[in-house]
Amino acid sequence: MLDVLNTFNFLPIAELEVGNHLYWHIGNLKIHGQVFLVSWFVIALIVGASVLATQNAQRIPSGIQNFMEYALEFLRDLAKSQLGEKEYRPWLPFVGTLFLFIFVSNWSGALIPWKLIELPEGELAAPTNDINTTVALALLTSLAYFYAGFRKRGLGYFAKYIEPTPILLPIAILEDFTKPLSLSFRLFGNILADELVVAVLVLLVPLFVPIPVMMLGLFTSAIQALVFATLAAAYIHEALEGHGEEEHD
Amino acid sequence: MDPLVAAASVLAAALAVGLAAIGPGIGQGNASGQAVEGIARQPEAEGKIRGTLLLTLAFMESLTIYGLVISLVLLFANPFA
Amino acid sequence: MFDFDATLPLMAVQFLVLTAILNAVFFKPLTKVLDERDDYIRSNDREAAERLAKTEELARQYEQELADTRKEAQAIVVAAQSEAQEISNGRIAEAQKEAQEAREAAAAEIAREKEAAMQSLEQEVSALSHQMLEKLLG
Repeated sequence: MLDVLNTFNFLPIAELEVGNHLYWHIGNLKIHGQVFLVSWFVIALIVGASVLATQNAQRIPSGIQNFMEYALEFLRDLAKSQLGEKEYRPWLPFVGTLFLFIFVSNWSGALIPWKLIELPEGELAAPTNDINTTVALALLTSLAYFYAGFRKRGLGYFAKYIEPTPILLPIAILEDFTKPLSLSFRLFGNILADELVVAVLVLLVPLFVPIPVMMLGLFTSAIQALVFATLAAAYIHEALEGHGEEEHD
Repeated sequence: MDPLVAAASVLAAALAVGLAAIGPGIGQGNASGQAVEGIARQPEAEGKIRGTLLLTLAFMESLTIYGLVISLVLLFANPFA
Repeated sequence: MFDFDATLPLMAVQFLVLTAILNAVFFKPLTKVLDERDDYIRSNDREAAERLAKTEELARQYEQELADTRKEAQAIVVAAQSEAQEISNGRIAEAQKEAQEAREAAAAEIAREKEAAMQSLEQEVSALSHQMLEKLLG
């Protein structure tokens, strides 16, 4: 199937590569090198900005400190609105890091012309357009809310499966699988779809026409980061509270 | 690849995206309409309504994206090929 | 495309490490900064409120003092006026008395002089009448 798309590859800037990876081998394990390369860039960016902002923290903020404080207040509001005033503090780093990592990943994938850097195989793109990354984040979210439930209520956490009636037990168990599935597929699908649409448009009309779609892509990337972090916080809140609301979708 | 499987996969991929777009399309239309109504009724609540609307639109959008993921599976990672 | 391999666990571990690092270099210090600033602003607010209260208290005190002083000045003025009135009244009375006395003295003298003049006139009258009588009879 890839051959169909690769016939368009006569244009140097407009390549569609789906499913090609730069494989690194560690022992007999295979990992996707390009994902890690970009994710290290993203991590370096976030940590660098944080260190710059906090190494000389002033009472009256300026420059990068101001910006990072704005980011922190945004994350605090996000966590507070989902988890509540009392519970949000221990979970702020997790939810906040989720948002920051996904957001910076998405935008770096959309804004930085990674395709100019030639790799022997595959191409650099947002780490979030690899299913491994999104599933890893979604599974961590699942673990986080299980941990939150256990931490708060011990084995009583399992009571939520048979409340209000044991008939819903299969659905309750199914929910634990659909949550990470929908989380990871939503993020993965949105980012991949966005990059594919942009790539296809660039293939057809290389100049100017893809710009509105790229803007839309920036917008959806930001919203998806927000959605992922919001949902993670909502799941954790549900586990903390018990008998929470239904899943959002 | 078996041409029959290829043809079926391409058709199924198109159908997956197309059909998956119907429901969320209706839902997003509904939500946006209600949001506009809400803004018209209470213009001072516009910021809050817009924020909620964008979030819910993203949730609905993800339903289409699930269809897209299925079609991508069929096209690029077809388990029957 | 949907090939899961060692990327997944490594990415999870990497993300957890990132969370730990960000907790150390971003969330904790900046939260501390924000909280400290909140405290600072709150204490400044309180201090300012205290100062404002103190200022109002002082202003009230000054006003009180001002009012007291004004009252005192009023009293002093009134006292001085009454004293002056008294003094002037006394003087007037004295002067009047003096004038009265002088007038009385003058009147008495006039009366005495008149009497004396009358007496001498009487004597002269009697002498004259004697003389007239002598001349007539003479």
